[in-house]
Amino acid sequence: MILLKEVYKRYRTEHGLSKWVLQDVTINIPRQCNVGLIGQNGAGKSTLLRLIGGIDKPTRGRIERNCRVSWPLGLGGGLQGSLTGRQNAKFVCRLHGHEGSLADKLAFIRDFSELGDAFDEPVKTYSSGMQARLKFALSLAFDFDIYLVDELTAVGDAAFKKKSRLAFQNLADHAGLVMVTHDEKSLREFCQAGIWLHQGNAYWFDRIDDAIQSYKESMAS
Amino acid sequence: MSTSRTPVNVTFSVWKALFLREALTRLSAGRSAWLWLLLEPVAHVALLMIIFSLIRQRVLPGIEFALFLAIGVIGFHLFKNSAQRSIGAISANMALFAYRQGKPVDSVLVRIFLEGVIQLFVGVVLLVAMSLFGFDVLPHDPLGAIAAWMLLWLFGAGFGLMLSVGATLVPEIGKIANLIFTPLYFISGVLFAPFMLPPVFQEYLILNPIMHGLEGLRSAFFSGYPNVSGISLGYLAVFSLLALFFGLLLHIRFSNKLVTH
Repeated sequence: MILLKEVYKRYRTEHGLSKWVLQDVTINIPRQCNVGLIGQNGAGKSTLLRLIGGIDKPTRGRIERNCRVSWPLGLGGGLQGSLTGRQNAKFVCRLHGHEGSLADKLAFIRDFSELGDAFDEPVKTYSSGMQARLKFALSLAFDFDIYLVDELTAVGDAAFKKKSRLAFQNLADHAGLVMVTHDEKSLREFCQAGIWLHQGNAYWFDRIDDAIQSYKESMAS
Repeated sequence: MSTSRTPVNVTFSVWKALFLREALTRLSAGRSAWLWLLLEPVAHVALLMIIFSLIRQRVLPGIEFALFLAIGVIGFHLFKNSAQRSIGAISANMALFAYRQGKPVDSVLVRIFLEGVIQLFVGVVLLVAMSLFGFDVLPHDPLGAIAAWMLLWLFGAGFGLMLSVGATLVPEIGKIANLIFTPLYFISGVLFAPFMLPPVFQEYLILNPIMHGLEGLRSAFFSGYPNVSGISLGYLAVFSLLALFFGLLLHIRFSNKLVTH
């Protein structure tokens, strides 16, 4: 599970310190739980996801990850343009300690991403759709306990969309999920619980419908 | 599946993954990049030989001037490349920090290690090639040569660790550092040895720790090398330790700032 204890976050900008993006956030995310993160634009959803993913540090407070947590899927970065898809995939596999099953993982990533011969071309020659497909295949190649997902909109053509939706459904059934999206349909489809971010505070809801309702009420008022 | 890896485990996989990736980009950048790695110091020494044989004849008893220059170039390049390649290590690996396993210090350490491996390879190839031309390239004090080589590398590493933090937080530091390497080349004794200098200059130039490393290398290669008093590897060792200490300290102190912007 993931433990956030009295987490504060603010950024250093060119005009000095920003106001608090997150203030005194204490939340407990169980392992087998699909959580939707909702809130207005700029409420700190992606910030919270980056903090949970460990690629950013809280200004104050503590975050504990007691299980295997993925990197935030759907966020930019993570691929080196001058290297080929295969070399990038190898790098990520080694980073996650899958040296032994490298061949299997590579075969899976090549298959799932449907890149074909482009798998051995530099990533900088890829279209944005191809990059997204590679990233999606990469994230499916590892068994994480909790996946962090930021606006993972379906990519590729109709057939790939269908395949990725199925794979994602499968993922949501087997592992925990922390998901940021503005799409209400996906939220209801994949998540049970919800976290509503409002004015720097985070509110936990056991049912996603309640979270969505609170969010909507705050928008209306 | 749910068992977390130990921190040591994670670090080693990160280093391995990074090392292979850095080596790949370094050795496959452009056409036959590995050949250029070898040709650069060879051309450097060859050019110096031509210039020096044209403008003056140096007669140093028991010392081959070409070998003298080659050792200076190898030693200085070891220091320079370790330090200089570190400057861009963090910004070049920004994409990697999308995975929390990799830390800025990892990318710098891996680059320094790779540079050491490359420079060792280049140095050995250069010396072997010179031995084919009849030079006596075997050091009479191999342990001394290894110690001097390691210390030059460690000093470059410490310097690089400090510069990598400085240049990432304040880009101007990187630019200034790049400017410094050329004058450093001329005052570090690549082209001369302190015993050739008038005492007035000698006094000041031997404050430079790199010169101590180069002199250490040379006296390990040539028996009866005229050492100047005050030259010692211990001096360089102290500087290397200090540079490593402060370099790592800076990385710990600014570890958050290096990835968050």
